[in-house]
Amino acid sequence: MQALRISPGLLPPECETLRAQVREFLAEAMAGVPVARRVRNWSGSNPEFSRRMAERGWIGMTWPKRYGGHERSSLERYVVLEEMLAAGAPVGAHWVADRQSGPLLMRFSPEVLAPRLVPKIVRGEAFFCIGMSEPDSGSDLASIRTRAVRTADGWAINGRKVWTSRAHQAHYMIVLVRTGERGENRHSGLSQLLLPMDTPGITVRPIVNQLNQHDFNEVTFDDVLVPHDHLIGHEGEGWQQVGAELAFERSGPERYLSSTQLLLEMLDAADAGDPRHVEALGRVVAHYATLRQMSLGVAAMLARGENPMLGAALVKDQGALVEQAMPDLAHALFGGTVAPGSALEHAMHYTTLAAPSFSLRGGTREILRGIIAKGLDLR
Amino acid sequence: MSGGEHDALIEHSVQRLFADQVDKGVRERAEAGVLDHRLWRLCVDGGLTRALASEATGGIAASWSAAQPILHGLGYWQVPLPLAETMAGALLLSMAGLPGVEGPIALIEQGVGNDLQAAGAGAAVKLTGTVPHVAWARHADSAVVSLSEGRLALVELRARGVSCAERLDVARLPSDTLHFDNAACVALAALPASLRQPVWTLGALARSLMMVGALESALEQAVRYANERVQFGKPIGKNQALQQQLALMAGDVAAARMAALVAASDAPDSTAADAPAATFSIAVAKVRCGEAATRACGIAHQVHGAIGFTREHPLHFATRRLWAWREQFGSDAFWAARLGALAIAGGSRRFWPSLTRRRFDAAS
Repeated sequence: MQALRISPGLLPPECETLRAQVREFLAEAMAGVPVARRVRNWSGSNPEFSRRMAERGWIGMTWPKRYGGHERSSLERYVVLEEMLAAGAPVGAHWVADRQSGPLLMRFSPEVLAPRLVPKIVRGEAFFCIGMSEPDSGSDLASIRTRAVRTADGWAINGRKVWTSRAHQAHYMIVLVRTGERGENRHSGLSQLLLPMDTPGITVRPIVNQLNQHDFNEVTFDDVLVPHDHLIGHEGEGWQQVGAELAFERSGPERYLSSTQLLLEMLDAADAGDPRHVEALGRVVAHYATLRQMSLGVAAMLARGENPMLGAALVKDQGALVEQAMPDLAHALFGGTVAPGSALEHAMHYTTLAAPSFSLRGGTREILRGIIAKGLDLR
Repeated sequence: MSGGEHDALIEHSVQRLFADQVDKGVRERAEAGVLDHRLWRLCVDGGLTRALASEATGGIAASWSAAQPILHGLGYWQVPLPLAETMAGALLLSMAGLPGVEGPIALIEQGVGNDLQAAGAGAAVKLTGTVPHVAWARHADSAVVSLSEGRLALVELRARGVSCAERLDVARLPSDTLHFDNAACVALAALPASLRQPVWTLGALARSLMMVGALESALEQAVRYANERVQFGKPIGKNQALQQQLALMAGDVAAARMAALVAASDAPDSTAADAPAATFSIAVAKVRCGEAATRACGIAHQVHGAIGFTREHPLHFATRRLWAWREQFGSDAFWAARLGALAIAGGSRRFWPSLTRRRFDAAS
């Protein structure tokens, strides 16, 4: 039971000063941005916006100055993130790099790759995508078949990755590959490589989703060659390194805020005299407040150097439930009565179509609950 | 004594007292209508009843966060005593500058779920009306009444003009109806706090913290059972279907706990009457804990199978309390409606700033 407890995180006063600065920035940067764009939330990609954030020092906020980072606290970073997400700001281009790629490079290639790439991430000039899933390897990530063979000229990569968000806009991919045999331990023989996306032999093919939007891609590798020093960390330790990366991926406030623009439209459209509206939206407020505190608590755990894996899994599972309940609530309260072309209609349509992905991306609900069950000593 | 030392002392007292002294027999006798006076005396002598009250009135001026182990323990060990009500009542009396009282205290919020009328002014206020669902009223010597005009009143329940009809909640614990007929108030005073409906709000906080204890007990019992019960050659906890349900329950329990802890830290106490985030955070906690209780009881019973449905098995002590407490001092629907009305009034523009401040004001 102890392992499941998340302590409340407390934001110090300097965080509120920063919050005011971010709100001022957003009031200007997001003025007039229509719901059609805001509703994409952190899936929305805008390199110019990313560069503006970089100029304010809001990418790589907690990273060491030796890499160009700003050495601010995790809680300050948390405040910037939650303000961006609540406003529906288009933070997608640099999101992966800031959340996990940079930290991974600093942790596992501090002397070789981090010095080259992290400063560029901080400046908003290097965007990353995640090369993990394959057509035959989703939740069962250890079964991947993309191979990298050590040759005289470098690592030769062959295979394919799928569901790669924004691969068509990324400068780099961090790709999980098989470099050795899978022995008795099915997690052995995996490694991570840094892959510049302009390397010859890479083909990026769009996968259009049910929103008719191009976010996902299939990426194939035909004898793609990268230098030896593009190995991140140690050969054969890819599984452990991926584990660390996934903990970062699961732990942020984006895991409950994805449906916020729809909530905002519902609040404006709601009938204060209708008890169904009043009660249902009040419940959503209670869930938002609680999830915010849970997410903040996990951020504080990260700041203290604790392992947030269990807490992050709990928060992500609970968060996805709230995100997915939102379009169904909109249907219950407003279904069939929305004004055509209205902001509410747009938010409802978008979020309804996007909702299935909330419990699939970054670890499916079933996998997360398996992790939680293990934490309960059931496995 | 420092704050930290107080906290550790409280937790230790609770652990020793409840774990050692509260057993199935105690719980069953309570449901037969008996107040365990010996156990009550131990709580009084252990300083638990006055933990929140000011030092001037014999308390240790503990914060709700420091006193949280007591309330958690009432749920975790299913302790059948009017302790939460007495703690909140003692706090309110000390905040109003009134002296403490002996014996258990019942809590009443005028106008919320009752037709209580206050006639007269100044010190000569008399109460008339019917107040249902007053927890432990039959065992209480006094009631702390929060009047809609703003003052706090103290009423002696054994005095003239007060009668008690004994009723039970779904946990078979006392939840009596009090009839007032021109009953006198022995004391009246203003509260320094700006907390609206203070009895109802602090009662909701207490119930939230108690529910977290009961939720953790139910979860632990369910996990233990899943690991011990063997069917088809393996513990039933090895089945993914059960693992998924227990993981879902664990998420609800973690959320309820967080909401209740934040509410405790935002609540007013004897040293800090001004608590701008209290109403919001307590409403959030009561909603979240109520929803968690509803889902968790279902899952806990499902995992336990038939044995968990028996009187003999202890699970029902936790789940019946969860079912009772989710509707006391305002159900989750009641508090959700409060939050919803404020959120709709503020609209999209005020939502996020209000959420981050933990304050949705009626006037923006």
